[in-house]
Amino acid sequence: MRRRLWVFLALSAVLLAACGDDGGGGGGGDGGATGGEGLIVGISWNNYAQPRWAKADGPAIIEAVEAAGGSVIETDANDSSEQQLADVDSLIAQGADALIILAKDAAAILPAVQKATEAGIPVIGYDRLIEDTNAFYITFNNEQVGTIMAEEVTAVVPEGNYAIVKGHSADPNADFLRGGMQPALDAHPGITIVCEDYNDDWATENARAMMDACLAANNNEIDAVISENDSMATGVVAALDAVGLAGTVPVTGQDGDDPALNRVALGTQLVSVWKDAFALGQTAGEVAVQLAEGVALADVTAPDDLQDHVAPEAGVDAQLFTTPGGLDVYSIVLKPTPITLDNINLVVDLGWVTQDIVCAGVSAGTVEICG
Amino acid sequence: MTQVSEAAEVTPTEVEKEPKSRGNLLRAMEIDFRVFGMVLALAVILIGFGIKTNGRFLEPVNMVNLAVQSVSISIIATGMTLIIVSRNIDLSVGSVVGVVSMVYAQLMHTWLPGWIGFDHPLMWVIALAVGIALGAAIGGFQGFIIAYIGVPSFIVTLGGLLAFRGATWVVTRGVTISPVDPTFKLLGGGPEGSIGGTASWIVGVFVCIAIVLFLVMNRRQRRRFGFPVRPMWAETVVGVVSCGVVLGLIWLFNAYKWPEALAQRHAEETGTTIPPGGLPAGVPWPVMLLIGVTIVMTFVATRRRFGRYVYSIGGNPEATELAGINTKWTIMKTFILIGVLCAISAAVATARLDGATLDLGEGYELYVIAAAVIGGTSFAGGIGTIPGAVLGALVMSSLAYGLSFIGLSSPIQDIVAGIVLIIAVGFDTINRRRKV
Repeated sequence: MRRRLWVFLALSAVLLAACGDDGGGGGGGDGGATGGEGLIVGISWNNYAQPRWAKADGPAIIEAVEAAGGSVIETDANDSSEQQLADVDSLIAQGADALIILAKDAAAILPAVQKATEAGIPVIGYDRLIEDTNAFYITFNNEQVGTIMAEEVTAVVPEGNYAIVKGHSADPNADFLRGGMQPALDAHPGITIVCEDYNDDWATENARAMMDACLAANNNEIDAVISENDSMATGVVAALDAVGLAGTVPVTGQDGDDPALNRVALGTQLVSVWKDAFALGQTAGEVAVQLAEGVALADVTAPDDLQDHVAPEAGVDAQLFTTPGGLDVYSIVLKPTPITLDNINLVVDLGWVTQDIVCAGVSAGTVEICG
Repeated sequence: MTQVSEAAEVTPTEVEKEPKSRGNLLRAMEIDFRVFGMVLALAVILIGFGIKTNGRFLEPVNMVNLAVQSVSISIIATGMTLIIVSRNIDLSVGSVVGVVSMVYAQLMHTWLPGWIGFDHPLMWVIALAVGIALGAAIGGFQGFIIAYIGVPSFIVTLGGLLAFRGATWVVTRGVTISPVDPTFKLLGGGPEGSIGGTASWIVGVFVCIAIVLFLVMNRRQRRRFGFPVRPMWAETVVGVVSCGVVLGLIWLFNAYKWPEALAQRHAEETGTTIPPGGLPAGVPWPVMLLIGVTIVMTFVATRRRFGRYVYSIGGNPEATELAGINTKWTIMKTFILIGVLCAISAAVATARLDGATLDLGEGYELYVIAAAVIGGTSFAGGIGTIPGAVLGALVMSSLAYGLSFIGLSSPIQDIVAGIVLIIAVGFDTINRRRKV
């Protein structure tokens, strides 16, 4: 029922988008002068309802592509692998010269990638891996996110009782993150992990429930919480707050969500590991243009104007990345950025979040950027 | 008159000499066999986890946690019971909770502060009023289409499930909103969100007096109309046991003390001292809310014309309509009611998370329907009780909390929850068949 409705809606949306592009594309073409002129980059989103894509990734990709004189067409699969296959078909049919795919599922997307490859259209796996050597992989170093979380927390609390709040059990990212934490935790033998569990759908409610049980089981003797993302951290901090521990027990997160950055300024969250989606989008846009112009996967380079907080540690050239499936795919892997009290001005300066959101409820004189 | 009632008083003892005596006792006290079974199941679950964790599970803090965790589902389940009893269904509850909680958070975080300032004392009242009005409007809208236009409730609320989840996104374009007003946050429980030790005892004593008064009045009224009454011993047992349970629960809530750090901060802020055994937290506000909702809903369902009409429609819609009852308006009212309950539940959920997320309330429809069904509500219509639904929700939340407490991973928890649902309804079906 639901699926059929979405297929119908998506098809209408695609038709509308196609009609709209005919008018807009012609106008843009006149002004362009670079080599990418007239190129069409197709983007297949997995779930555009998540705020991040509309706020940063989408606009950054479009800006990069349009700067090179090309244009962008988009589809949204609404969190359905099946829908995404249909979306990619329609992007190919609309004449895309390169595809940027945020895959719902690393394996289920393969038939679509194969089709694109057969049609000679290069594919970029955006933010989520595609297990195919023909797909270029652009992402942040996910394992490093876990490492950064563990390092930041262990620096503050080198020993004691830890709770680890993991994400959705079926999402490989949950385990990547957990894997990244291990070395830093191993380096501190005084740390005991007293609670550790997955949370369905990375849901705030589940994290709150897990933390309530964890606090009860340990007489509130929890010294630090490593939460794998910010929305779960919201639930964790609410649970800590209920027993008066918010602000004394450090909590991690990732994504740079508005409330999380506010909590960092308030002191109830230690760090939110932020992936600068503007930089990721810009990289994908520029790589898509290179690939559409016929540059080989191995010869692709990252933009040379990436800032220090994201610049790949391996340099701007494409690197081989070994997938969990044992394939070597060409990739550009950007660096995640820990946002703490010390550098919270960065997210405001780059336009990721406004100052009044970060500073809501922060008492004067405690945080530099909040006055 | 007196003759009739005396005869009625005698009848039970006469008739029930033949069948099993345990059934007799329950029947004499007029205790629903199903509710009794549920209480038993709940006890088995709690004691089972207690044994497994060497008693640690039975500590007050866990009991308080699982009571609070069941509130959001329980509140809606009381309304879902009436919906299912009248042979309808509401699949949209989770999405309605989502959209209302997003509106609460937006009101308190973004919209209202611009008008009345951040720490306005009435902020939470305004937010709550707007949210409840919105819930009622959504419920009324769906109810109108179902009752007056005649589109099946399954379809209308399935549409609602999709549409209101989308609306949740539209309210904030998918962003998480946090934190909310500090007073509003008290609805989420925790030591600060509880009514305190002394107030709890007062409430307990009040409830006890109310129970006794209710029993006395009920008996008098039955006599007046010549209805059968319980034997005096049964009346006494019911009164004493109910009071005992109420006071026992109050004791349990008071046995949960404020965590030390928080108690100290609270003592400093209010200039009080912490009693030697610790500061008792008392009944959490969300639990008070649930108790209130349960009492009101039970009263509405069993003592008001509206409630009786609902059961009558569930039993036989055609006959009810032919009897001259305005069935359409009655059905629409059940949906307005569940909309209001969704808004109340959303307030508790929002307060507990100190904010609203895009996925808040997702999957509630399944848990709510499961709670009502475990609590003995029949999909055939006409059968179901409100306390049963609340107990059903408690059974589920005890299981979920217990499994998470003993460290079972979440996929395994889902498996157990699914199996328990089927077993519970299976038992009920067999039980009902045997009776017929």
